[in-house]
Amino acid sequence: MKMAVFLGCTVPVRNLSYELSAKRVAGELGLELVDIPEFSCCGYPIKSVHHETAYLLAARNLALAEERGLDICTLCSACTSVLTEVSYELATNEALLDATSETLGMLGKKYSGKVRVKHFVRVLYEDVGLKSIERAIKRPLDMFRIASHYGCHYLKPSKIYDRFDHPEAPESLDRLVSATGAFAVDYRTKKDCCGGAILGVDEETALSMARAKLDDISDRGADAINLICPFCSVMYGANQRKIAANHNVKYDLPILYYPQILGLAMGISHEELGLMQNPIRPRALLAKIS
Amino acid sequence: MPGMLQDAGREPRIGVYICHCGLNIAGVVDVEAVRESARFLQGVAVVRDNRYTCSEVGQKGIADDIKEFKLNRVVIASCSPRLHEKTFRTLMEKSGLNPHLLEMANIREHCSWVHYDDPVAATQKAKDLVRSSVARARLLQPLLRTKGQVLPEVMVIGGGVAGISAALYLGGMGIKTYLVEKEPSIGGHMAMLDKTFPTLDCSLCILSPKMVEVAECENIKILSYSQVEKVEGQVGNFRVQVRRKPRYVNEDKCVGCGDCVAKCPVKVNDEFNRNMGTRKAIYIPFPQAIPPAYVIDDENCRYLTQGKCKICQAVCQRGAIEFDQTDQTETIEVGAIIVATGFEPYDPRGLPEYGYGRFPNVITSLDFERLICADGPTYGKLKRPGDSTVPKRVAFIQCVGSRDQATGCAGYRLDGGTGSRGESTDPKPYCSRVCCMVTAKQAFMVKEKHPDAEVYVYYIDMRTAGKGFEEFYQRGRHEGIVFLRGRPGEVEEKEDGCLRIISEDLDSGCILDLTFDMVVLAQGLIPPGGLGELAQKMNLSRSEDGFLMEGHPKLRPAETAIDGIYLAGCVQFPKDIPDSVAQAGAAAAAAAVTCSKESIEIDPLGPVIDEALCIGCRLCEVLCPYGAIKVEFTDKGPKAKSIEVACKGCGVCGASCSTKAITMKHYTDSQLAAQVKAILEVV
Amino acid sequence: MESVRKKDVPVVTVLDPKFKYEVAREPGGENIKYCFQCGTCTSGCKVAELDSKYNPRKIIKMVILGMRERVLSGDFIWLCATCYTCHERCPQDVRIPEVMNALKNIAVREGYIHPAFRAQAELIAGHGRLYEIDELANEKRTDWGLTEIPQGCPEVAEIYGITGLFDLLSREVGGKT
Repeated sequence: MKMAVFLGCTVPVRNLSYELSAKRVAGELGLELVDIPEFSCCGYPIKSVHHETAYLLAARNLALAEERGLDICTLCSACTSVLTEVSYELATNEALLDATSETLGMLGKKYSGKVRVKHFVRVLYEDVGLKSIERAIKRPLDMFRIASHYGCHYLKPSKIYDRFDHPEAPESLDRLVSATGAFAVDYRTKKDCCGGAILGVDEETALSMARAKLDDISDRGADAINLICPFCSVMYGANQRKIAANHNVKYDLPILYYPQILGLAMGISHEELGLMQNPIRPRALLAKIS
Repeated sequence: MPGMLQDAGREPRIGVYICHCGLNIAGVVDVEAVRESARFLQGVAVVRDNRYTCSEVGQKGIADDIKEFKLNRVVIASCSPRLHEKTFRTLMEKSGLNPHLLEMANIREHCSWVHYDDPVAATQKAKDLVRSSVARARLLQPLLRTKGQVLPEVMVIGGGVAGISAALYLGGMGIKTYLVEKEPSIGGHMAMLDKTFPTLDCSLCILSPKMVEVAECENIKILSYSQVEKVEGQVGNFRVQVRRKPRYVNEDKCVGCGDCVAKCPVKVNDEFNRNMGTRKAIYIPFPQAIPPAYVIDDENCRYLTQGKCKICQAVCQRGAIEFDQTDQTETIEVGAIIVATGFEPYDPRGLPEYGYGRFPNVITSLDFERLICADGPTYGKLKRPGDSTVPKRVAFIQCVGSRDQATGCAGYRLDGGTGSRGESTDPKPYCSRVCCMVTAKQAFMVKEKHPDAEVYVYYIDMRTAGKGFEEFYQRGRHEGIVFLRGRPGEVEEKEDGCLRIISEDLDSGCILDLTFDMVVLAQGLIPPGGLGELAQKMNLSRSEDGFLMEGHPKLRPAETAIDGIYLAGCVQFPKDIPDSVAQAGAAAAAAAVTCSKESIEIDPLGPVIDEALCIGCRLCEVLCPYGAIKVEFTDKGPKAKSIEVACKGCGVCGASCSTKAITMKHYTDSQLAAQVKAILEVV
Repeated sequence: MESVRKKDVPVVTVLDPKFKYEVAREPGGENIKYCFQCGTCTSGCKVAELDSKYNPRKIIKMVILGMRERVLSGDFIWLCATCYTCHERCPQDVRIPEVMNALKNIAVREGYIHPAFRAQAELIAGHGRLYEIDELANEKRTDWGLTEIPQGCPEVAEIYGITGLFDLLSREVGGKT
């Protein structure tokens, strides 16, 4: 299976360990991820400002994948959201497709509405499949308690995601965690948003939103949070110490990207998965494994 | 079964049955204690308690006891006799006992339900009730029931959509039906509506085919311009006096050419158009009227008031004008009656803060129907009454006269105290059920005629329970109608006739101070004027809301407490057209069941007059509300005589008789005295 | 359009009845008029829980009422975290996050862009991305065995030019051009 990997803005600069581990694990599982250097911003941050511009940015990226005959595999949930939405709209709204194609033509590009978009984790869940994943496990992580954060745009709006997992009772991440042998921790605030989208508008509210979940997960005695989005990573990883300081609390909650958890279970070394390059270094966790 | 009368002579042998009614009674009342308290009462042969006395098992137990213990009286302490008296009377008849030897003590509605918070006192009350019932049971006498003939004919009172539907169902079954309507035409309020919700069918387009069907049905006789004066008799055989007002136009000769109208010199306000247009003194209420004949308004006709004119008679080529017509009273005998006299719209002058009657651009929902109707005073052009301009901003205010328990202005009289309009201006506490949808429809119609118009609806709750209703309301919102949660306190008129409303928008938390060209008040539905008198003529009860009381709120919604009298439409409670038609069907079916019987057993209630004691004082005759007792001159002097067919068994005569010459069957003085004495006994 | 009474109770005397139609014409704003104010959106909103300034039900009502300026100039419309919880649950399919996007789009056209969003839009115009990929970044990527990424993406700026977003970004706050 071959897909174009869409890195987005944050991953290739700030979450290299996510990119590294995803590519590493994909290779092992027979999923070939092709880089397209001309990809730009997905368009998500522009949607609030100028809908048409956001749609054109997304359509341009879709056109680049279509040129190569590839579907898109994303790492960031926000990219997943806008690319899926635009792919869905252009595939179902002919008038919009015509208008978009006309503008893309001015850039020497064309798009005919064929590209499908899936988050990397959804590809693992739906296309690689839990059975293949279980077969690839060499070192079951039964010493770990892992709480998954689904985030918002991985699942919602559910209509454009073919309702592959129920947004009110999601289970794909927990099942993927269980497949590695780790204990999937259930917790009350599982479905809550990280607050990342309003960090620049109201930092206090955004950090309070993230804090609620950090508190909840810590209380449940999880060893780590499983993340699949660099935006969420900003909130729970990069801002964890700030939240702790602002609210006068303490956390020791490393964040892991799902391909890192899976990679560890597949027997890949933590160096190859970039674990020590994560925003919170998972020393205690790695001590458990050796 | 005259043999049953022999039971009377024997010593009372009473079976007493205390019902648990699941936990309805037993959850509060100590049933075992009540049972034991009755064991040694005089005349009691056996006492038992049952989980459900009305069940098959419970009934069989009683039947077995009647045989085994040779019972000749039965006391059942359970629910209201309204529910199961019939059940147990039938059981007694089957077991060979006279059904009037049954006595019921209501220890549920009158005891466990109302005293749920005091089980000790409730148990004591249940014991008292049982003791008093046993005391009365000892003195019960077997009574012979008479059989009455059943006239297979029905009278429907009220010619609105409910009455029309009931008459059509009955006529279709081959039952001769009299349809009595007080107005010159049948059709009722539905004939005044422009469109109906939620389908936006033109109201008359769907109603007038039914009206024509009524006119053409050979089993239906329309008595238009007529009112019920008097009702006598009972199920199977009612005698109804109907007063027919003179039309001064021969219905059979008039072809509705309209020559008379063109020449009539008198113009008056047109009540069918809610006084927003004019008509002549000779007129037809609306073009589709049934019967399709003209009528002369005797209060305004120049000839009938001043003695000269007769122009109409001169121009009528068919000789249909008959100035010599007078009031006619007809007596019609029927087996059953359906009351379908509908409702009256609430008169918002009772809420002067909204300005109806003072501000010309404040109108009611019914006014709006006429304003927007193609046959209305503006030929369907939406114009505000004040200056005939097209309103660009229209507000609707919901719950006007409904859901309002305010007593501040209750009883306020608009006409300086003569009281003729009092009841119709008192706000009502209930929800009138249809106004939300009426308003949604009318707001939609404004948008339909003028898409640019701004339409606002002030509401407390939107109630859209009905097939297609919620979807219609949603469509209205999508058309851009703005629904504002919050009831305005007042409407103010500005110099240009526009209307200012200040309200709180509960959703946004803002105070809105807005100005409109026209305001429509969603008036509630209230009992029609004169319903009280009609109810009294027929001995029907009214519920607290003023509408007629149904036989049972759930299971007998189209019946009344009086056998042979049924209800259809808004006279029972406000309802929309489909519900009115459905209830008309139920009432027609119930009336048809009555008419299908060859004879009906009549409860032998009423007075027995001891001529030897009667002194002919006439007090009973004066007091009887039904004219069912008359003093006649006999060779022994003036003596009261009961007119059985008219008697409803109310007991006023018996209670008032100064010489105790009158005894009420089944409620004799000795029975009631024993009951009272027993309940006052200190045990 | 409105005066402010004591204790901050807004008294509204003039409404813009066309505003709801204007929003309904924006992509994603189509269903706004179906809102029947049930409050499901606000009840599940994590932002509203922490900050009473943001109440999606109320914002929608203000749009339906026609409080155009108040809504467009308010910073509350920028507080939607686009978590889509309300979008999934709304019984009238109002698609609240898209409605908020529609409002923000109109606000931008009226010169009310939030500074954080202006900054993002300008960064993307300049670099094709939110974060500049400089030589240092690419060196690091090469060290990790990851492919190099071209610096900048001029086609993004071209798109801004075609759609007129550059012109919009140059508008004064709260004003016309």
